[in-house]
Amino acid sequence: MAKLSLMFEDKLVKEVPIGGRPVGIGRSPDNDIPVDNLAVSNYHARVYFEAGRLVVEDLDSLNGTFVNDLRVERATLHDGDKIHIGKHHIKVDATGDAPFPVDSGRKATAPRINETMVLDTKVRREMLQQAAAMGESMQFASNRMKVPTLVVLGGKTDQREYVLTNRLTVIGKSVMATVRMKGWFKPQMAAQINQRDDGYYIGPGDKIPTVNGAPIPGPVKLNDGDLIEVSGVRMNFIFRE
Amino acid sequence: MRIASGGKSDVGRVRSNNEDCYRILGELNLFILSDGMGGEAHGEIASALAVETVVKHCLEAESNPVAPFFGETQAKWNSRTKRLSSAVYLANKKVFESAEQHPEQRGMGATLTAAWIDHDQLSIAHVGDSRAYLLRHGNLQQLTSDHSLVAEQVRRGMLTPAEAEKSDMQSVLLRALGAQQKVEIDAEEQPLFAGDLLLLCSDGLTRMVAEAEIASALESESDPEKAAEKLVALANASGGADNVTVIVARLGPVSKSWFSWLGLGTRKHSNGNGTAGGK
Repeated sequence: MAKLSLMFEDKLVKEVPIGGRPVGIGRSPDNDIPVDNLAVSNYHARVYFEAGRLVVEDLDSLNGTFVNDLRVERATLHDGDKIHIGKHHIKVDATGDAPFPVDSGRKATAPRINETMVLDTKVRREMLQQAAAMGESMQFASNRMKVPTLVVLGGKTDQREYVLTNRLTVIGKSVMATVRMKGWFKPQMAAQINQRDDGYYIGPGDKIPTVNGAPIPGPVKLNDGDLIEVSGVRMNFIFRE
Repeated sequence: MRIASGGKSDVGRVRSNNEDCYRILGELNLFILSDGMGGEAHGEIASALAVETVVKHCLEAESNPVAPFFGETQAKWNSRTKRLSSAVYLANKKVFESAEQHPEQRGMGATLTAAWIDHDQLSIAHVGDSRAYLLRHGNLQQLTSDHSLVAEQVRRGMLTPAEAEKSDMQSVLLRALGAQQKVEIDAEEQPLFAGDLLLLCSDGLTRMVAEAEIASALESESDPEKAAEKLVALANASGGADNVTVIVARLGPVSKSWFSWLGLGTRKHSNGNGTAGGK
């Protein structure tokens, strides 16, 4: 079970397990962790589990709550963190049962987001600002929008050039193929190209294509200018301006 | 084409309730998966409501060929794709309105990924970060774009996929059902080939298990029901940090002999009513 250890200098003063109820910290004796020091407010801070995270919350104390020397109003705690209150500090032990990923090297600067959330309220505003900023950089990039294109250099296909607009582009003899091969003994699906978030990947079909002369071991990310060859068809993958 | 399918939903190893929900309508080859969010039990309400709305709309449209479409549809789409997009539009409306009417449900939302197979055409509609993949010739190919902040950052070249996997912001969605009155829906069509395998999954799978591992698990298990169970077990073995839900649909292999035509009339499917809800 996770626990808090109140320390004065290097001496252990009190150990308190953290369960379902918030652990109160303050000068008043009815706190779970009473800290007898004038620099500490009567109800100074509390520690509790929220959505699988261990959280410390300052209760508008006069002198503040510090996690790893950083003043916080609210922060997610990680194993090994130190909460400083007045001249005392509290060691956080989250090893017992950690319902959240224990990441001991972290400083508690921002709450960790483990729960799925849609952009809402405060976070939403922040994220939307960030997204808007990204939108601006996107507009900047869109001046030079690049269109992924396959240019056929050799072999029989139904077109000489293909703009890759789908998430999946099939190269083969099949009537459903985007890049349709012509001729006898051509495979129904020779190869396929998958559009992913970070770019375009070519993978094997009935055949193993080569990229720049080397047979691909599995899906391979395509770069501007790559030469693809499969079943007698040679193509150039380029980003058109 | 003959299609065998199966699904599995599990609470995982950390959460106390399962906010995921899925349905398989084997007779229609319609597959729906949703991952709910929102405190208390409201994520479960949101995902169940979303799935039920999609099922209801698609079933109604099956018996009424002139059923209207809702939201924006593209003229080039086939009727299945239009129907799915229309259903997701309605699902968003339902979740949003429910949250409006019940103050305690405020902030609830859900992802939704739906796939409909009609002969050799696959229609997909989705909102959120539950994914659809196509396993073909051993390649696991992602058919959906996550509507998450980190995925958007990858698309804009601000993060690498590896950085995105380590980000604290992975749970932040840019789009989900129930967040706003109207939602932008991604819909797409793909041609299917014999032997293709369709996978729908919640982020509880993709965040815990690497794609290469998912692909080899799917390759090594031909029974869709067992493949789904295997993937859920893999996610739990890697920590099971979130609810995990998986739907697997496998298209029949290439017919090698004309005798196999005799088997075309039969269609195997499991009864997939996976309304998961902390049971």
